[in-house]
Amino acid sequence: MKDVMGVIFTGESDARLRELTMTRAIAALPVAGRYRVIDFLVSSMVNGGIRNVGIIMQKNYHSLMDHLGSGKEWDLHGKNEGLRVLPPFLTRENVGVYTGMLEALRSNTNYLTRSKQEYLVLSNSDIIYNCNMDELVRCHIDSGADITLMYTRNPDMKRDEYGTYIAVDECGKVTEMEVEPTHPNLDLTFMDVMILKRETLRSLVDKAVAHGLHTMNRDVLMPMIQQGKANVNAYEYKGLCWRVDSVQSFFKFNMDILDTDIRHQLFSADLPVYTKVRDEMPASYGEDVTVINSLVADGCVIQGTVENSVLFRGVRVAPDAHVKNCVIMQDGQVHSGAYVENCILDKQAVIKRNARLIGPNAYPIVIAKNVVI
Amino acid sequence: MMRKKTCVAMLLAGGQGSRLGILTKNVAKPAVPYGGKYRIIDFPLSNCTNSGIDTVGVLTQYQPLELNAYIGSGAPWDLDLSNGGVFVLPPYQKGKVGEWYRGTANAIYQNMAFIEQYNPDYVLILSGDHIYKMDYNAMLRFHIRHGADATIAVREVPWEEASRFGIMNTDAEDNIIEFEEKPKNPKSNKASMGVYIFTWEKLRKYLIEDEENKASANDFGKNIIPAMLADKQVMCAYMFEGYWKDVGTIESLWEANMDLLKTPMDIDLHDKKWRIFARNPGYAPHYIAKGATVDDSLITEGCEVYGHVNHSVLSAGVVVEEGAVVQDAMIMPGAHIKRGAVVRRAIIAEGAVIGAGSIVGEETGNIAVVGQGVVLPAGAMVTAGQQVDASTKVEVPAAKA
Repeated sequence: MKDVMGVIFTGESDARLRELTMTRAIAALPVAGRYRVIDFLVSSMVNGGIRNVGIIMQKNYHSLMDHLGSGKEWDLHGKNEGLRVLPPFLTRENVGVYTGMLEALRSNTNYLTRSKQEYLVLSNSDIIYNCNMDELVRCHIDSGADITLMYTRNPDMKRDEYGTYIAVDECGKVTEMEVEPTHPNLDLTFMDVMILKRETLRSLVDKAVAHGLHTMNRDVLMPMIQQGKANVNAYEYKGLCWRVDSVQSFFKFNMDILDTDIRHQLFSADLPVYTKVRDEMPASYGEDVTVINSLVADGCVIQGTVENSVLFRGVRVAPDAHVKNCVIMQDGQVHSGAYVENCILDKQAVIKRNARLIGPNAYPIVIAKNVVI
Repeated sequence: MMRKKTCVAMLLAGGQGSRLGILTKNVAKPAVPYGGKYRIIDFPLSNCTNSGIDTVGVLTQYQPLELNAYIGSGAPWDLDLSNGGVFVLPPYQKGKVGEWYRGTANAIYQNMAFIEQYNPDYVLILSGDHIYKMDYNAMLRFHIRHGADATIAVREVPWEEASRFGIMNTDAEDNIIEFEEKPKNPKSNKASMGVYIFTWEKLRKYLIEDEENKASANDFGKNIIPAMLADKQVMCAYMFEGYWKDVGTIESLWEANMDLLKTPMDIDLHDKKWRIFARNPGYAPHYIAKGATVDDSLITEGCEVYGHVNHSVLSAGVVVEEGAVVQDAMIMPGAHIKRGAVVRRAIIAEGAVIGAGSIVGEETGNIAVVGQGVVLPAGAMVTAGQQVDASTKVEVPAAKA
């Protein structure tokens, strides 16, 4: 048994995802035709041998809870441990949403205390990666560090004032950290994934909250690194990763995986990505259809033209409909004669007969859930 | 102590399915893939779940490995229950005796102890040979309403084909008055579907009597049902209307797959109220590349299509390389069609690799079959109706210039 548990925090700011996160957390955002963002994170943990995963919910968590269910799809429906959803519960001390990750962890002290594993991997949920967590765990244990931070050199992960950057010396020790700088001086992006002892986290959180601190990176990690009080190491994640924190970055991720090399890397056979199953029949294609460079999920019925697009389960494209550079979520419909380009259709959106909808190249139009045009 | 169940289903999945040739060499017939993401057994199992029958014994004896792994805990069909669920029942040793299932009735006889655990009023007998959606609960209500001892599901077949089936002759009240196996001059066109409901107490008695009769073939159609009819038990025919397809031969399996390409489909697999559940291999959505053409086809998650697919069914994880042509074919999970190969009127079994430039099947004639895991060399030639397994010598015509 692996002596590691996982905790995923799902309360990031989602303002820049606009309508897409109106009624769901980023973690529950549908991506890549049949997944939600959180599938990649939970699968990474499970593939790395982690059998106890807590998911801290913040707001809009209905769809996330609905998706995760008992954790069966990730083989996390254990008797004593497995998948645990941790929604905020209102108590005399806690009367509303958390102010940040520290407070959220503090509210779940009981969960942290009750768990048995020695180590804990903590991850944010506005990021997509598919890694073998086992390597991070081994790197951390072998180095004897107090905390190990996972980082990437991928320039696309940089977000200036929305990111955290680090510098690492030749021994893998973190020497510097910048949190949300307007112009970052450091090159390596902290992925908001880290590993430490469960007890260490519990006491760090306890102390920080007692001192009225709110944020993990600025208030806890940065001072630790600056003062050199703790041994903070870094682990370079060399695989693919995306931050999904805006409409554009959401769109880009979906378009990126149309590339066969990228797709094969992200969905490698040794690191399967598990998700909730919908038991749809295979996609059916009519006569005289044109499909170019597209990902199509089960349950779709394609009778028109689809180009450079990602179609989720149960999408219908009628005869003479044309879909180009689009992301169409579950059960979306494009009726006969309609033309849709550079659009993101949220679940169950319907584009009626002969409608024309063309978004600018760099800024796709978002059609909200259940909207009929 | 198990809680009492009104009805327990017993699914006969032990047959070899020899008419499916090399397709059932390593797998039991109910585990044969169908329709892109299903196996035959998904239909009776999903029908059980959708009909509210939550206790199912699956009787296996022929090549059970893949079938057992497929059924697993029964979770895909919501049959992983603490009170009931799906159980794989292979033959087992009893005291000094240990024997294979000798016939369909004997298989149930040998598992009477399993059934009795649930003290059911009724037992539903199913087979793993057919593609159909059926509400067994409606049939059970019919059985109870008619006060029947046995109810046999029947469907009307074209008169000219009636002599190929087990035919039920009924009176105006749906009572079966005569059963004829493959009659030369059929008096009715109501063919048995191999779906029976018995009042358990009665079936139990007949199973025991049948077992004592050493001359019996221990078969439902040949022995149990004629014996009950002879004793004037209340036997009813339950009329089923809807798509029902026997997939017992290569041709019929191929046809059943092609049936899914009709518009509208003969069997509605989009029906959200009657989902057909299946174990999910967990692939990403399928990818259709630039330069590929796809029409009139079913394509499953995990496929990658760079070539041309026309009027075909592609199962999960199939790759069709550039320039390859797949037409009127059923491709089972994980098969790989290499560059420039042409596959027509064929069934390609799981994990088979069709070498570059190979030609499998012909535009007309019988269905060609390439067996599980077979790797065809580049430029190989498989003619119409030919079945290729690992031991077959495949013709490779002189290399083309």
